[in-house]
Amino acid sequence: MEIRVCIGSSCYLKGSREVINELNQLIKENSLNSMVSLKGSFCMGKCSVDGVTVSCDDKFYFVEPDDVDDFFEKVIVPSIPRAI
Amino acid sequence: MDNTDILATEIDDIDTIKSEVLKKISELAFDNRLDEADTIAFELIPGVRPRFRCCVYREREIIRQRVRMAMGKLPTDSHYKDLDPSLMVHVISSACEGCPIARYTVTDNCQNCLTHKCIKVCPFGAISRTPRGSVIDKTLCRNCGKCAEACPYSAIVDIIRPCVKVCPVDAINMDKNDIAVIDKDKCINCGACVTGCPFGAISDVSMITNVINLLLDHTKKVYAVVAPSIQGQFGKDISLGMIKGAILNLGFDGIYEAAEGADSVAYMEAKELLEFKKEGKPLLSSCCPSFFTLVENYFPELKDNVSTLVPPMAASAIYIKNMDPDAEIVFIGPCISKKADVLSNYINIISAVLTFEELVAMLRAKRINIRNQADMSSDSSSYGKGFARSGGVAQAIRKVVSELEGDEASSSLEIQICDGSKECINALKLLKHNRLRVDFVEGMCCTGGCIAGPSVLQDASHTKKLFKPSDEDTSIESAVLKLRINELDIHRT
Ligand code: FES
Repeated sequence: MEIRVCIGSSCYLKGSREVINELNQLIKENSLNSMVSLKGSFCMGKCSVDGVTVSCDDKFYFVEPDDVDDFFEKVIVPSIPRAI
Repeated sequence: MDNTDILATEIDDIDTIKSEVLKKISELAFDNRLDEADTIAFELIPGVRPRFRCCVYREREIIRQRVRMAMGKLPTDSHYKDLDPSLMVHVISSACEGCPIARYTVTDNCQNCLTHKCIKVCPFGAISRTPRGSVIDKTLCRNCGKCAEACPYSAIVDIIRPCVKVCPVDAINMDKNDIAVIDKDKCINCGACVTGCPFGAISDVSMITNVINLLLDHTKKVYAVVAPSIQGQFGKDISLGMIKGAILNLGFDGIYEAAEGADSVAYMEAKELLEFKKEGKPLLSSCCPSFFTLVENYFPELKDNVSTLVPPMAASAIYIKNMDPDAEIVFIGPCISKKADVLSNYINIISAVLTFEELVAMLRAKRINIRNQADMSSDSSSYGKGFARSGGVAQAIRKVVSELEGDEASSSLEIQICDGSKECINALKLLKHNRLRVDFVEGMCCTGGCIAGPSVLQDASHTKKLFKPSDEDTSIESAVLKLRINELDIHRT
């Protein structure tokens, strides 16, 4: 699974770096390195929404740096394909 | 270009429009006034008289699109499906002239001769005679080129759009308005079209405002990692140490050379090579991200032959992160492909990538005089620095092998050096069919190596001589041991 965090200038000011660092930390802590790849992306054209734009399996989410934990638990973890 | 002028230029060509926009954006970013970015188009193109294009409105639109790219956005609002973080270069549609795509064209040289060899050789019946000479019917022509070969006056020429011509992987097509379109699945981000388009209509997206933002945030420690090819970029009397000093003055907390990482990459890669050699398996270098992408996308059967080492910039970043886990790291290089490489593979350790062009824009915005810098020292070997030029990786590998196993083992290595995308593709084709018997392949997609990268400030002919390995050097092994990078894991995950 691919998570792309927007690093366009608007999202960057809203905290892309924090979002990336925290997601990276969470991926490591949960040993998901082999299943989730964390990538950066340029502007996804959704700058006007609050929060940093994050795409995951072609769906968009808007994540505040303080809500990364929540986002990880509610969105990322459930969408990791299960080993049968 | 006279190098003293790199930091003080007037708008007179494409490169200067781009650097002017980057400089203005840097100034606004340093002042925290990016919301005024809209004014740049009017500032750079005042009045009503056009200078480069048909009218000032088009000139301003081009600048607006460049401003967007300078701020990490696509040149136009397009849907996300067109944007891929792996694609770093985009066509500035308003700047694309839609050059003629008729390939074979009869020129004025046509003497309207009696034999009309062109008509006879054309297998498609596409050429007819008129009182003013031969004419090619574009709807029938299939671009076989027989007519051009046959004409005794060389009156028939093959005109290929410059962007199409330079693209090594055939990734550029035309839309229905003849505007260039880059196929994101084919593109390897080498940047050949960025320098190849005479109208400067293809450009890379920038992270410059992110970097300035980091520098302004005093709660963060920000380190620069500079590519070895930066040596000599500001002219021959500006040393590597002075360049490092100027970069520090931008507000970085520390500066490291990717060449230090390159020493350890060479050291580990040589060890890997010796293992591969035992199995009779050729090893491919992994430092050039476009070469890497070329293998991954076009020759997937050779993927396991690529070295498992990270590129030198990442090795240096891992070293810094090991000392300071909260470090924010910015790589500065001549390369557009590295931007894609970082976004896709190293975003967890490297925060942003700047090109030399973007670095100059920042130095100009901050009015930093590169001549007034103290000369800083350098910890990398001349072999690590040599990664900047074609053949340099091979030299470093040979050097390490001779340190580890002796001169004979080193000189018996069969090494293929591929200088530029074309040579890379040829070698990979041969390898794929088992027709190339070598131990090691060095692949670099820019002809000449990184010193000829898309965003260099000096022609490679001026800087090449700075990258000769010197024998006064201590061994690569000792350079590696000194920094203890060998104790870190610098393999790709
Ligand atoms: S900058 Fe992130 S969506 Fe535009």
